[in-house]
Parts: sequence; C-alpha cells; structure tokens
Amino acid sequence: MGQLPQVVAAGLMMGALYALMAVGITFIYSLMKMINWAMGEFYMLGSYAQFVLITLVLGPSLWFLGVPLSMVGVFLLGLAIQKGLLAPMFGPEADRRDEYATIVTIALSVLMQNLATILAGPYQWSPPEYLPLVTAGGISVNGSRLAAAAGALVLLGAFYFLVRRTWLGLAFLGAAQNRVGAEVAGIDVRRLDGLAFGIGVALAAAAGALLAPVFLVYPTNGAVSTVKGFEIIVIGGLGSLTGSVVAAFLLGLVESFGSVFISPAYQDLYGFVFLIAMLFLRPQGIFGERERRV
Amino acid sequence: MGKLRQVGAASAPAAAPTGRLGRAVRRGWVILPAGLALAVPLFLSAYGVHVGIVALYYAVLGISWNLVAGYTGQFSLAHHAFAGLGAYASAGAVLALGFPVWAGILAGTLAAALSGYLLGSLTLRMRGIYLAITTWAFAESFRILLSVNYQVTRGDMGLTVPLLLGTLDPLPNYYVFVGLTAGTLLLAAAVLGSKVGLRIRAIRDDEEAAAVRGIDVVRWKKFIFTLSAAVAGLAGAVYGHYIGLLAPSQVRFTEMAFIIIAVVLGGFRSFWGPVVGAVVAEGLAEALRLSGEVRMVLFGLFVILLMRAYPAGLVGLLSALGRRLGLRPRP
Repeated sequence: MGQLPQVVAAGLMMGALYALMAVGITFIYSLMKMINWAMGEFYMLGSYAQFVLITLVLGPSLWFLGVPLSMVGVFLLGLAIQKGLLAPMFGPEADRRDEYATIVTIALSVLMQNLATILAGPYQWSPPEYLPLVTAGGISVNGSRLAAAAGALVLLGAFYFLVRRTWLGLAFLGAAQNRVGAEVAGIDVRRLDGLAFGIGVALAAAAGALLAPVFLVYPTNGAVSTVKGFEIIVIGGLGSLTGSVVAAFLLGLVESFGSVFISPAYQDLYGFVFLIAMLFLRPQGIFGERERRV
Repeated sequence: MGKLRQVGAASAPAAAPTGRLGRAVRRGWVILPAGLALAVPLFLSAYGVHVGIVALYYAVLGISWNLVAGYTGQFSLAHHAFAGLGAYASAGAVLALGFPVWAGILAGTLAAALSGYLLGSLTLRMRGIYLAITTWAFAESFRILLSVNYQVTRGDMGLTVPLLLGTLDPLPNYYVFVGLTAGTLLLAAAVLGSKVGLRIRAIRDDEEAAAVRGIDVVRWKKFIFTLSAAVAGLAGAVYGHYIGLLAPSQVRFTEMAFIIIAVVLGGFRSFWGPVVGAVVAEGLAEALRLSGEVRMVLFGLFVILLMRAYPAGLVGLLSALGRRLGLRPRP
C-alpha cells in the first residue's frame, strides 16, 4: 500500500484535465442544449497551436504563455464557427435543432481532422517536456503531467470565478436555466451562445495544449479525452457543472486505481464501464435531477 | 402516408414506396435502379466492382442508420461499431468455435442485435442525447478493446478470416451485396409501411404526443434500434467475410461519419437517400481519385453546406425535378 499516495496523485492530476474537457462540453450543452461532437478537434487544434508556439516562437520554458495564447486562438475560431454555422439553428425557420447540431458538428470534426492530416501530416509530434521529473514527499511524478494538472486547476479556478462572481457568469447561469426568462430580462442570449461556445472549445484547447508533451500531437489525439469528457458529463449529470468536475476527478481516480490493481492495458475502458454502471444504477447522474416530463 | 406528413418532413418529402404514385409508375421506378445495379458491374474492372461492393456496404449501413436517426429521431453513433462487432463476432464463431461461415454471420448479426438491445435498454428511456453519447462511447471503447486485446484480435496486424464464397473475385460477392441491399430495402419498406412505421414517425415528430396517444414509446424505439443494429451487424459480418481481413481501423469514427455523410448527401429521412448517397459519394471519390483525407474534407464541407442550404439532399433534388417535369404529383 506504499504506492497509495502516488496512485491517488496520478488520478487527481488526470482528473483535473478531464474536468477541463467535461466542463467545456457541459457549458456548451447548458446554454445551447447541443453536444459539440467536434470537441476533440478543438483539443487537437490547441495541442498543435501549443506545439508551434513553444517550438518555434516562445521556446519550451515559456510553455505557460503558450497555453493562454492557444486558447485565445481557438476561442476566436469557436466564435466564428458558432456565428457562421450554429447560430442559424436558433433562427425562426429552424426545426429539429438536435439533428442539425449533431450532423454539422460531426461534419466539422471530420473536416478539421482530415485537414490537419493534409496540412501537418499523420506524424506524431513530440513537444519538449514542460518540467523534469518532480519528487516530493516520497512521491515522484512526471513533471509535464504535474504542470498540466496545475495549469488545469488554475483555469478551472478562473472559470469558477467567471461563472460565479461576475455579471457575465450570472447571465450565463440565468440563460442556462431559462432562455426565454433571460431574454425577457434584457440579456442578449445569442451573444451568450457565441461566448459560451468559444469558452467551451477554448477549455478543450487548453486541455490539448497542456497535455501536448504527455499524449503528443497528432490529428486524432483528441479522441480519447473527448470520449472521457462525454462519459463524465453523463456520470456527473447532464448540464451540471459541479457534477462534471466531481465526476472528472472520480474517473481519474477510477482509472488510476484500475490500472494499478486490475490492468493498465484497459485504462481507457474503465470510463465506459463506469458510465454503464451509472446508467444502470442512477441514470440521471451524480448531480443530475431526474428528468420530469409532461 | 400523406396524412402523416409533418412539419419536420415538409422540406424532405418521405419518398417511401407507398407514396401516391400509380402502381405501374412505382414498379417502373424500381426496375431502373435494379437493372443498373445488376448490369453495370459487367462493364467494370475488378476494382470498379470492388468499389461497387463498398458503396453497397455503406448503403446498407446508411439504410439501417436512417431508420433510427431519420425516421425515429434517435441518433445512434455506433453503427460502424455494430458492423465491426458483427464482423469480429462472426470471425470468432468461425475461427474459435468452428462454425460454418453462414452460421458465423448469423452469430455476428445476433451479437450486434444483442448489444443494440442492451444499449437501447439503458438509454432509450431518456432524452436522445443519452443514446448518442453512450453509443459513441461504446464505439470508441470497442475499438480500444480490439486494439488492446491484440493477442486475440491480432490488433492492427489484421485478423484473417475465411471467405464467404471462397474467392476474392469481387463479381460474385457483388451480387451477394446487391441481394443484401435489396433485402434491407424491402425490410425498411415493410417496417415503414406498417403500423410500426407510423408509430416511429409519430415518436420522432412528438414523443410526448405519441405517448399520450397510447404508443409504447420506449418499446418501439428499442425495437427499431435493435433491428437496425442487427442489420448493421449482418452487413459488417458479410463484408468481413468478403474482405477476409479485419482490423480495428474499421471501427474508427470516420466510418460512422461516412455513413452520416452518405445519408445526408442522398437525403436524410428519405427512403432511397442512403443508397443514392452511398453510391454517389463512393463513386465520386473513386472517379476523382481523391486521397482519403481530401475526400473527407470535401465531404465534410459539402455536408455542412447542404445542412445549411438544402437539407433534402440529392433525392429531394431529384423528386423536385420530377415534379417540375410532371412525373410526380405535387405534395
């Protein structure tokens, strides 16, 4: 049991990064009531942006500057995509929004993934490590993972501040609870949609940028984190930001313990087992409310 | 049929074979594609026939996906995984248990149906988004499972499986796929023309209203999803025994995306849409000799434009043209 602290630390560190993905997906879902299936491609863009920034422009020691810059770039792209492609689904002539959003974001994901392969090749690029191996209190952890987790915690804190402590955050929460009500109160809900989409994909890009040295940079590197993000939002309860964060850390721990006590080969499958168990026992998720219907 | 047509379907006329067309005209319409499907490969090279098989494989997957997504309004994102499951389960039955190939294909179909039933039972009680997320997670997990268990599945090295007809010559296999496509179309027509077809369309258009009218919503969603998974498993198993080599890459999400692209291109929620879309998409890509990536970029772009501007797809375009020429009554 001497390795217990190490296992817990590893689980919590991955949990912080999963939380970034899951919070991004939930945030977009809670405002626009759609799932962005191209989330993994925004993760991928974040990782490429970070790779280019720290190898060509900033240098490896300034990795913590590369992350916010990558996020800003992806945020702007997200704004443009939302305005051009997704905003029309709230127009007067639109029906069947789910269908439109699903098909368009899946097409977008295919488009971006293959464009990345054409432009940058199918190669796996390996950015320099952020930090060397860190040893503290008998635990030694991979420096890049530690840096990534620290970055993720800072961003989660900033996100919490934005949502709970600012006027804009209150507007987001209001619009998520009741779109029409928020509109009646004079909030421009459509502008919030754009911002929410931009912030959501920027969080995915941050996860990609932070994890670039750990999981490397290639066109399909977002797939695994995205699947876990989707599993987490159901486990935590669809639409619940708190649920997403809690479930992300839980999944991190489940994976970490599972790979030590069962088998590391199945690490990426524990999330699916967790999801199925959750759907079986408590389909509304940890923090979700049982769906009420007319 | 005509009475059921709803707001949602206004832009995409459901061209089911039970339309208001005269019987003779209807038969005439079916003879044309059937004749083309039977005759054209005789003039193609072996590679051309192989492309035809791939197109028909996607057509079958597209028809089965369209039943769930287009007609019932439930987005499954695991049809490629059901096909992969059918193929690997059949391979397992044949290689490990010594089944003959036809029994293996049956086992693969049943395995896909069973997993569809289980996934459906867990998620179809809730909003559609749960099905989409769970099927996506299932597909990715299945792919990872195949790669991780390389001692059993031989992972990316590929698993060699016995051939269906004992030959790699595409022409006889092509006719197997023509039969499979025709069978799937008949099955879809039977389902859509029956009361079940009315029920699932009612569920798509308004789930609450359907439930109030006494339709067991969850039961029929599960039924159609299980049926559709079975068809995908069958197609995957037959395709696996035609190609003779299985690899986890057949369960990449790109495959699912291609099914969606083909259906949307041909006409989402239209009877012939998946077939037209699959044949046009696969044929066009091969005729232009595009690389895999360029092809997917163009298709992705095209689907986005289509969704924005003309969601009825090619079949919608054709029937609009037909109406213009006076071949079909106006809706």
